[in-house]
Amino acid sequence: MDIPTSLAIVAFAALLHASFQLSVSVLTLLSSHSIGSKRPLKNLLSLTTSFVIGAAVMTLLLLSFVALVVISVYETEVPLVVWAVACGLLSGVGIAVWIFYYRREQGTSLWLPRGTARFLSDRTKATTHPAEAFSLGLTSVIAELLFIIAPLLVSALVLVELPALWQLIGIAVYTVIASLSLIIVWVLIGSGHALSGIQKWRESNKRFLQFAAGSGLLILGIFVYVSKVLSTAVGGM
Amino acid sequence: MASVLSDVIKREGQRPTESFSQSKLEASLVAACLSVRSPIGQAESIAKNVCKKVIEWLESKPEVTSRDLRLVAGRHLEAHHPDAAYLYQQHRVTL
Repeated sequence: MDIPTSLAIVAFAALLHASFQLSVSVLTLLSSHSIGSKRPLKNLLSLTTSFVIGAAVMTLLLLSFVALVVISVYETEVPLVVWAVACGLLSGVGIAVWIFYYRREQGTSLWLPRGTARFLSDRTKATTHPAEAFSLGLTSVIAELLFIIAPLLVSALVLVELPALWQLIGIAVYTVIASLSLIIVWVLIGSGHALSGIQKWRESNKRFLQFAAGSGLLILGIFVYVSKVLSTAVGGM
Repeated sequence: MASVLSDVIKREGQRPTESFSQSKLEASLVAACLSVRSPIGQAESIAKNVCKKVIEWLESKPEVTSRDLRLVAGRHLEAHHPDAAYLYQQHRVTL
């Protein structure tokens, strides 16, 4: 696979990662509690900034970790069967997103078990220090691992086959694009937009986001399968 | 204002029942108004008015669930500040 195609796959996988909404929900709640408890704007900005940095750092660490595991096990020659498994995972997660990413109720309730959602909600309410917000950012990315593991794995498989410098660029591209939705919400909140407007947009577009994310995962799975698994298998005959 | 002796069943009985607290309800309503960037004075005045209506509704009820309380408060808040009411009602369904 050439470098532009590899980076395009990484960028698309990161875009799908960005479409998952758990971190955005937590950021919205965190801002709502911070503004509602009469804290100064400076405090709101430091909390939301720490949260976004925490989420970005965890994304970077997770991708690096998965790539490290892949390199440790297979070095730079990943067997086709692993690629096929990754494509299957993408398709499976895509269908899972279609079926149960959002709950069938009012609002933007996610698939999370209600106990976990309550824990995150209570932790968000109790967060008053930037260090806590940073940890909350880390946690919110880990809590979404069930869905983000597929784009992370495919990106890691693509990245390990690149030269070292392009690996670093790929990791940076993934982290920035995967954090885009958070960065946009952070900018909107920091610039004084009403949280109700952000939440209304999220609620009214949730079915579209769900459909787009699920379809995107399926398309990526098929593309990688054809361009990597099929082309190599057929070419090697 | 007459004191209200209603009990509030929290999270469908998963947490211990509490007596109704006017100050707690008012604080949550003020927070919702402030979240949509209302001035503090307006937020407090809206919260007081909504609280009055909720207490009128509560007077004939010895026991209510926190969900019903939120629903009724949200409905009254809507008349004063629809955006704040939206956020207030969304609080439990954001995650």
